[in-house]
Amino acid sequence: MHTRVPPPPSPLPRRFPLRALPLALLALTACGDQTPDSGPAPAAAAVTVANCGHTVALEAPPQRVITLNQGATEIVLALGAEEQLVGTAYLDDEVSEAWADAYARVPVLSEEYPSREAILEQRPDLVVGSYASAFTDQAAGDRESLDGLGIASYLSPFACPDDADVPEISWDTVHRQIEELALLLGREEEGNALVEEQRAVLDEIRGRAPAEGLSVLWWDNDTDTPMVGAGEGGPQLILDALGAANVFADLSGEWATTSWESVLEADPDLIVLVDASWDTAEEKTAFLREDPALRDLTAVREEAFITVPFSTSTPGVRNVEAVQLIDAQLADGGGPR
Amino acid sequence: MSVLVKARPGAAPRLTVLVGAAALVLSAALGVVIGTADLSVATVFRAVAAQLGAETGIDTLTRHIVVDLRAPRVAAAILTGAGLAVCGGVLQSLTGNPLADPYLLGLSSGALLGVSLSLFFGLGAAGVAGFGATSVAAFLGSLAALALVFALASARTGALPTSRLVLAGIAVGQLGSAVASGLVLASDRDAARRITEWTLGSVAGARWNSLAVTASVVAVTLAVVLWYSRDLDSFAFGERAATSLGTDVAGVRRVLYCAVSLCTAVLVAQAGIVGFVGLVVPHIARFLTGAGHLRLLPASALLGALLLVWTDVLCRSALPDRELPLGIVTAVLGVPVFVVLFRRRGGARG
Repeated sequence: MHTRVPPPPSPLPRRFPLRALPLALLALTACGDQTPDSGPAPAAAAVTVANCGHTVALEAPPQRVITLNQGATEIVLALGAEEQLVGTAYLDDEVSEAWADAYARVPVLSEEYPSREAILEQRPDLVVGSYASAFTDQAAGDRESLDGLGIASYLSPFACPDDADVPEISWDTVHRQIEELALLLGREEEGNALVEEQRAVLDEIRGRAPAEGLSVLWWDNDTDTPMVGAGEGGPQLILDALGAANVFADLSGEWATTSWESVLEADPDLIVLVDASWDTAEEKTAFLREDPALRDLTAVREEAFITVPFSTSTPGVRNVEAVQLIDAQLADGGGPR
Repeated sequence: MSVLVKARPGAAPRLTVLVGAAALVLSAALGVVIGTADLSVATVFRAVAAQLGAETGIDTLTRHIVVDLRAPRVAAAILTGAGLAVCGGVLQSLTGNPLADPYLLGLSSGALLGVSLSLFFGLGAAGVAGFGATSVAAFLGSLAALALVFALASARTGALPTSRLVLAGIAVGQLGSAVASGLVLASDRDAARRITEWTLGSVAGARWNSLAVTASVVAVTLAVVLWYSRDLDSFAFGERAATSLGTDVAGVRRVLYCAVSLCTAVLVAQAGIVGFVGLVVPHIARFLTGAGHLRLLPASALLGALLLVWTDVLCRSALPDRELPLGIVTAVLGVPVFVVLFRRRGGARG
């Protein structure tokens, strides 16, 4: 579904028997370009990617890319494609240090979403967004109309407007998003190298399981009714890689709103505090220390707090960074005594 | 508030309408010239000429910005402003309540519920007739609310007593908002953002094909309410007096309630919820033309259109890099005008 499919009216010979298609598609995404071999199809797109019920088709690697939302920007930067960018917009927090220099070289079109006119004025050939709101009328506009202007668009599969198109969050699907963008940008090698590198980091940490036996609360935001990492999102993925047990793994969805009562009942060994500009880790720590009930939590008494930036917790190129950050803070004595 | 309803006929209603019409034509032209993208007046003219078939060498994107983004926005602002102002004016007369607005019968909450449901459940359904999925959800939601309000308010005789309609509208509205708020809380950040964005209104999504539907509906509604303008005048004396003046009160009321509510539902699909226009513009118009509906309604339409065209221009050009929501700017622009007008009136009357 989120892998490449052959272009609909494809004049190319079918390379795989239909029954093997799902497997073949997976394999394709991971390793190969699907450019026409010697097919006599000058008008056919060189690269196509199925994305949220859309077909993204590009004849050549795009040279005027606009990224909306931090996740999209960071994947493109991680692929070393900053020279293909003509603009970025809408950060949640700060761009990872790893790509901060590259980020500074690309114009920022707006603090939040630029208007459609401002986007079109840049004459983009590809618009990449992390959230469905990137393609509403107040931002880039709907994807069909962009298609009509010859502007390709890619939306993070995790944000597909139709729930039926949204894949389960796993390292495979997180990496598939990177591979799809790498393919579209003509940077498959960089994409494969990046995914390989991330897999190696994950394998090493998984092998050590530094948080084995620890029960963990992943607190995203809100003090009245805390929003926590549930069983099907970025937080779960990250905690699994560390060998930790998410105390709210039973809740469905990526995030869930729960009560402090259930937090007290679970009494986690460790609390991961999400640091976001709208709700900083510092504010969270202060709240936990001062709340008459919560200050008795084991993790609060033992100061077993670990901080991760918000942008590392949504499914994307920085989830591995969150795993590394938590691993490093645990090694640094950030865990329970 | 009674001072607003009983305002005396203004000095020169005909002049008002003429000046208003001229101002609207000029504003529409300026609305197409002003925008985020840095296009000169000459470029805009060439883009329009290119659309009309002339060879001007203008590129597709520039033409698209002028012809498919700016022009339909201006048209949508005109239709939405005119439609909401007329619907608000008619409802104020029908209910005898100066606080009535076009969303009186639970329409905005119904639409909000529709939008929240579609975004919460991730129903990425395709749109209809140029209206996107959100617009369709808004339209269906407001129709459902309207049907519920009518069902709750109808007396056994089939009449629609005003007090029952208003109360049913409040009840259905509260229920819709409550459920919608619950859905917003339970939605992920991005869906919540899109719902909030929608409630603040925008004509950024206007496209020519959806405008054809909106334009027809607004035109028909305007014709219907003007046809009944004498009956609306007679309602000012109360229902009993209206009956004695020869008005089929129940029949006329039903037709008018249906007409303005359906029109509002279409406008909700077109532009989301745009507060203030439908509530205040009819009052401003009444200061200028007096209470006679044959003049009041066209004047309201013109003023509403003017207000929204300029509001939208501000929304897309006030900040260099992003759009402001329509609903906020309408209020910020319109409230001072309104306050000045009614203070002046109030002062004159002592």
